[in-house]
Amino acid sequence: MKKLSKISLLAAVFGLAWFINTETAKAAGAEETFRFYCAQCHGLEGKGKGPNVTKDFPVTPRDFTNAKEMSKLTDNYIRGIVMDGGPSQSKSPLMPPWGKTISDADANGLIKYLRGLCKCKGKAG
Amino acid sequence: MKIIISAIAAMSLFGFVAGAAHADAGAGKAAFEAQKCTGCHYTEGPAKEKSIADQMAKKGPELWYAGSKFQAAWLKGWLQDPKPIRHLAYNSLTKKNAGDHPKLSGGDAANVADFLMSKTTGEVKAGVIKPKKSLKGKKIFTKKMPCTGCHQSASKKGKITGGFSGPTLVGVGKRLNPDWIYAYLKNPTHFKPFKAMPTFAGILKDKDLKNVAKHVSNLK
Repeated sequence: MKKLSKISLLAAVFGLAWFINTETAKAAGAEETFRFYCAQCHGLEGKGKGPNVTKDFPVTPRDFTNAKEMSKLTDNYIRGIVMDGGPSQSKSPLMPPWGKTISDADANGLIKYLRGLCKCKGKAG
Repeated sequence: MKIIISAIAAMSLFGFVAGAAHADAGAGKAAFEAQKCTGCHYTEGPAKEKSIADQMAKKGPELWYAGSKFQAAWLKGWLQDPKPIRHLAYNSLTKKNAGDHPKLSGGDAANVADFLMSKTTGEVKAGVIKPKKSLKGKKIFTKKMPCTGCHQSASKKGKITGGFSGPTLVGVGKRLNPDWIYAYLKNPTHFKPFKAMPTFAGILKDKDLKNVAKHVSNLK
């Protein structure tokens, strides 16, 4: 029995280590995720000037470096827009829903990344 | 006796046609390798990309399902006169497509097209989508989930608008197999495990994926 407990403990420690590693890897991949999915409209620098924003583009993608505007948004609002698309928060359908493309962990990583771009915290809520 | 002779003749003809097609595809594979197409394109499926980094490391699109994706006549023509399909260089958001894809001679193009058209996947079912006017498809394409944000397309009057990150959809009705468009919308990761286009399956109803495929395959 004692032996079994030791094995369980060891397995739990390894499991936790693996989980932490994976989460760190995912967080480290937030910039890559941003550049791959978001930059096509929001730009590689996050200023809302991606290559899709031509003169015909009917809306202005959000500038993530604008701390004043970004600090008005809650993290949950951003998560909603990212996963369920612009219309879910009364914004443009040109912001598509990414909920079937990226994971919740990816979305959490992106929110952290965006907070890094604006160097600001979100409104509570 | 007549029947036997006819049967032998038919079998020889079948053998000749099958053999010729095989020879062309074989010559196409040889030309594909000789022209160093393999430096940018892979032709053996299934999809190899295991991460965004794998996708970004590629120099050109995967062609392991080219025969299910493209229309043969278009492919043969394009290989001889490869006009850019993307405004931007492959996997770049900043560099313009230089339009310097290698050109093949008529003979090589026909053989390479035969080779690539032999690369198919069972994921694409034939005869599901017929290109035709779909008001629902058009509404989704232009307003509900505007594909135009990332893809260029032409209006009835020929005015071209749309974003630059995705491949152009101008002339797509001649380029893509309508059934592939639907199969891609339905299960995109079978073809591209990591792609910059959102997955709409599970968000749009299957019927609407079909409507979009009808509309897109009907674009001039």
